[in-house]
Amino acid sequence: MRTQPINEQERERAFSSVKKPEVTERQQLDVRYHVEDHEVTGRPRAFLEAFAAILRHTNYRMALEHFVRVSAKCARCAVQCPVYQATNDVKDIPCYRSELLLSVYRRHFTMSGSLIGRLTGTGHLTDETVQQMAESFWNCTACRRCTIECPVGIDHALITHLGRFILSEIGIAPRALVVSTREQLEGKTGNTSAVPVPALSDTLEFLEEDMEEEKGVPIKFPLDVEGAEYLFTPAVSDFLMEAETLMGIAAVFAATGGSWTISTNYFDAINYGLFYNDRILERVIRKLYSETERLKTRAILIGECGHASRTAKYYVPVHCGGDQAKPVYNIMEYTYRMYKEGKLKLQPGTITEKVTYHDPCNIARQGWIVDQPRELIRAFCSDVVEMQPLGQDNICCGGGGGTVSIDEIRPYRTTVGGKAKADQIRATGAKYLIAPCANCKKQLRELVEDQEIDCEVVGLHDLIYKAIMFEGQPAEMQTAQEKG
Amino acid sequence: MPTFTHGDISIEVDEDGFMEEPDQWNEEIAKALATTEGVDEMTEEHWKLVNYLRDYYLKFGIAPMIRKLCKETGFPLKKVYELFPSGPAKGACKVAGLAKPTGCV
Repeated sequence: MRTQPINEQERERAFSSVKKPEVTERQQLDVRYHVEDHEVTGRPRAFLEAFAAILRHTNYRMALEHFVRVSAKCARCAVQCPVYQATNDVKDIPCYRSELLLSVYRRHFTMSGSLIGRLTGTGHLTDETVQQMAESFWNCTACRRCTIECPVGIDHALITHLGRFILSEIGIAPRALVVSTREQLEGKTGNTSAVPVPALSDTLEFLEEDMEEEKGVPIKFPLDVEGAEYLFTPAVSDFLMEAETLMGIAAVFAATGGSWTISTNYFDAINYGLFYNDRILERVIRKLYSETERLKTRAILIGECGHASRTAKYYVPVHCGGDQAKPVYNIMEYTYRMYKEGKLKLQPGTITEKVTYHDPCNIARQGWIVDQPRELIRAFCSDVVEMQPLGQDNICCGGGGGTVSIDEIRPYRTTVGGKAKADQIRATGAKYLIAPCANCKKQLRELVEDQEIDCEVVGLHDLIYKAIMFEGQPAEMQTAQEKG
Repeated sequence: MPTFTHGDISIEVDEDGFMEEPDQWNEEIAKALATTEGVDEMTEEHWKLVNYLRDYYLKFGIAPMIRKLCKETGFPLKKVYELFPSGPAKGACKVAGLAKPTGCV
């Protein structure tokens, strides 16, 4: 992967400060995201205490012990990092970033490191390093390409994740994420976008009317059905932003006779804990799981959202019963299975414009969902072009790792984080960019707007909605072609 | 807490310029907030959008789904962006006095 480094003008745009000087002064923190006020005196000590507590109660020490021994700082990850490729700043090389935290670990939490440090009187964690970490760890989009490339197997994304976790324990975390999870776990609405239940019902009724009008068959969003096979939870923002994605999913269930339900008690799969705090991550997972138990569904089905799918799939077993936990699927797995079983019929050639598919990092990097959507797309799109690299090696949309929700860093996301992606998209000349992830969709829409690329960002089910065929559907409504 | 001042108007806003107390909203405040969104004059079409958002918000406690907003006002999304260049969630909602949207919006 190669992308041209940004020029001076772009650099200025990407890194300009968003904060008033008095806020920076008060918080003694010059980062580009908003942070809630926190205790600024004694931050290094607080950081070390939080770090120590985390090491005591988790398995991170095992990983860190290994990483500090094998880290060769060879910088092979540099060629894989879209952020470094764009900034050309040595501080953005993944192993440089990781070393910020590894050196703290080495100095304060290993025998030899603390011995040498005490003898020479050097290496104490300073407030300056805490500030450096606060900036650096949020310059990363957590796409994990570096992790695949590292010859000694250092998981840089895990180190960044841990660094953010420790920082959040001392009050340094992007406010956008903090207020969202606060509403989700402690607020009145119980979801990150603060959608009240009456608004949810109104929205779904509105969509049901539209679908019946457009498809000529009744298509429903079943609410609170006890004993349904799937508890369906999308990123809650879909109920505000992604009408067509939800309609496509409902249409797939209607066409295949699937048993599913949305819970009005909890309808948000977003888990920002993945991006900044393991304790939050666990609480959100438990909240999701208790809902599947309450409604006695067989499985959890996550909508078009990468991080939500990844957290549910990998952390439900961790926190909710191991092998005995109910299974978690992504909606594309269901749709794909229905297609392969012949229950879902898609009209070939429904979409004739050029389309391309963007792999969301959180479902593609581990090779979980790569081929399934492509096979679906080829079933009804006649002109499919691929971006390179793709699948497990894909390039991040530029808004991963929670950064997309931080509006104040949009210029950074669309100038630096998403630069390599923008090059890829431009090279395809595609009319439709299919991105089955709420996070990627938001970022890519902002990216194509800011980078002036003429292409429409859609979800996979948005297009499936156009191509889906129903039994008993009025003839004139079959294969309703695109209306643009 | 930052304060937004425009003419005789002085209100509490967050760092992104959204009202801290949406209940205090009135048309004069809307006009003032519009200037921060590059809208110097609120036309009939601007008001149609803002009033629809405001009514929905008072009824349901949140902004409507974008598809619903477009359908009910008759404005395609492109038109919404023409009216409020930062878009429905960040631009129009701000002028309608809604709180800043949270989560993945």
